[in-house]
Amino acid sequence: MRTGPIRATVAAGFIGLAMSVTAATATPVVSKDAALPIGSELNEQLLNQPTELFAFDRAGGKRFYLFNLGDMLFSSSSIFGGKAADAGMSCNSCHQQGANNNKLFVPGLSARPGTFDTNGALFNAKADNGVFDPVTVPSLRGSKYLAPYGHDGRIASLREFIRNVIVNEFAGPEPSGQVLDALVTYVNEISFLPNEKMTSDGHLTVKASDAARRGEALFNKPFRTNASMSCATCHQADAAFIDRKVHDIGTGGYFKTKTLINAKYNAPYFHDGRFDTFDEVVGYFDQHYDLGLSPSEQSDLVAYLDTIGDADTPFTPNTVQAEVDELTAFASVLDVAIPARDKDVIRLAVDSVGVEWREVGEKFPDRRDTSVDGGLAERLKARASVRDLVLTLRRVAMAAEADDFVEAARLYDRYKKLVVAATPRLQLAEPWSLYNPRVHERHFAALRRLSELAK
Amino acid sequence: MPVSVSPTSSTIARLGCAVALLGIVLVSGTAQAGSMSDGIKAYKPFIAENIGKAIAGAKAMQAAVKAGDLKAAQDAWIKSRKGWEVMEPVTGVYFGEFDKTIDPWPNAKIGYHAIEAVLFAAKKTDGLDQPIAEMLANMDKFEKKLNDKTSAFDPQKLLEGTANLAYEVGEEKSGGGESPFAGTSIIDMQENVEGIEVAWKLVFADTLKKKDAKLAGLIEERIGNLEKLVGVADIKSMDAKKVHVGGEELAALMLQAAPKLGLKDFKVGDEDDEGAEKTK
Repeated sequence: MRTGPIRATVAAGFIGLAMSVTAATATPVVSKDAALPIGSELNEQLLNQPTELFAFDRAGGKRFYLFNLGDMLFSSSSIFGGKAADAGMSCNSCHQQGANNNKLFVPGLSARPGTFDTNGALFNAKADNGVFDPVTVPSLRGSKYLAPYGHDGRIASLREFIRNVIVNEFAGPEPSGQVLDALVTYVNEISFLPNEKMTSDGHLTVKASDAARRGEALFNKPFRTNASMSCATCHQADAAFIDRKVHDIGTGGYFKTKTLINAKYNAPYFHDGRFDTFDEVVGYFDQHYDLGLSPSEQSDLVAYLDTIGDADTPFTPNTVQAEVDELTAFASVLDVAIPARDKDVIRLAVDSVGVEWREVGEKFPDRRDTSVDGGLAERLKARASVRDLVLTLRRVAMAAEADDFVEAARLYDRYKKLVVAATPRLQLAEPWSLYNPRVHERHFAALRRLSELAK
Repeated sequence: MPVSVSPTSSTIARLGCAVALLGIVLVSGTAQAGSMSDGIKAYKPFIAENIGKAIAGAKAMQAAVKAGDLKAAQDAWIKSRKGWEVMEPVTGVYFGEFDKTIDPWPNAKIGYHAIEAVLFAAKKTDGLDQPIAEMLANMDKFEKKLNDKTSAFDPQKLLEGTANLAYEVGEEKSGGGESPFAGTSIIDMQENVEGIEVAWKLVFADTLKKKDAKLAGLIEERIGNLEKLVGVADIKSMDAKKVHVGGEELAALMLQAAPKLGLKDFKVGDEDDEGAEKTK
């Protein structure tokens, strides 16, 4: 589930007590019956999620229909087809909260975690280019400034790029104009995260360290082998650290200049994810361009990249309140779609929001989960409340399918009231849910023990 | 009892035991023939039969494990599991204390899945004596509770359990479903749908037909639809999205049926606090 910075802060209460517990990782796919190959890892069970910030937030605005629809679709497997849909994958699977998913791994399509061959046959045989050429999953922060799209910059338009992802890479049906408009709107709203160590035009502030300042000077210093070039030639500080060009930097072809804003969280680096750290990146450039940097200079340059690539609040804890807020926003498309008798959007909303609610429900373990102690009555009430929401939404879709939009509107109104009633029940059970890091760890430790037993 | 819808052959077989017990009622065709109370009486032997199957399978598995016969142990695990899965309308709502020891998830020490991981993924029979013995002991307790003269099912809780199972059939299965190591999740689902069908047709169908034939028809149609959707070789061949929607629609319709059957409105999956406390 995807959280915003404000929502996450509201309910940090008990979570804060347990933040010292190491966040557990999910377990990879273990079943030959699974939609994805054994060993696949989607890294879906995040306790702390990449912070999400939108352009309208920064401008003091508020959410709107097309954005909400795009936000919902971004998290929906309904727009994909084939194996991606079967696996319940969505845009958010790879671009978690609009950031990258650096643990994503699909055997046969990934060379290493955080990389993915979008032109492989697994998701769409028609998209197979016959080459195993996985690339990093990019962060979408600041996308509207980062055209052209694709690592090699092959697609000029974001709309065309998104259509290609849906139809070719993930075998989905041809999206409607409304679906594309909504997704483009949503992606264009995903903003870079604020960084108090950097001004909006890419200069360091007083909060930056001395090492970073020395690194900034090196960043702008002409190469000793080519005085017309510096790091800043391609990574232009006042232009989101890009030049909108492709370059051959000795990595096997022409690839787009990457932004350095918030890049601290975008590892692995380079188009194929060959480097995990800025140290490795700087070391590569030093060698490739014969920069002659001393170890301390390399260290300063890394400090600079670390500083301009930082964010004030890179992660936010996931909470019940954050889930409720987000799903309320998703479902709000029904405020427009039901009066408009837009069956497609009603169906999409019910399916997508219902699936998201089911995932919320599963975060409240039932009595069969013996790794969790206490709060059983609260957990069962929470689960039942969620099921009530899912089934009320389903009835909205059933009414709309029967062309009874008055009944659909009545049921949607009921759904909204049920959400209000369910929220305190979910929060009451939250300490015994997978939103609590301790419970989360116990649950996933039990899963890992089961996986070990299977070896 | 007039089971007038068109049950599949497997459902007929499953209903056989229960219907036989209602033989007199069937012959006489009294006004009570299709009542929920008659159906409830007939439903208990169905559960008795299937806990018997679960126990028989577990005993066969125990013998196969002792003999080191992996294939026989795997086959017996599947047989035992089929008996368990078809009872799921009642395992949670009536036998929660055993559900969590016989079918816990995730648990690497006890229950079906701890045994499944060793038999099907590690492909071993080692170290299973204790978990199988423990599972059998819990199944025996389940059976004793069922056979207790004071124990009886009631339509309210059975409908709640059946609707809950319809919802759960539609759960996300992308990870391989309920039996991920054995790769037999589709069998679990087929048994679940059978369990839904038997409970519905035996206990509720005729009463609802009298009260609201249209809703009864919709429910029967949705059950048949689910049965077709899960009637495939494996999870990968199943249209998971349609099963998901179908399960939700069926559960939603059963919720609507409750007041027409003279039962209370309920939330799917809601268990009373007392029951929850007991099994803490």
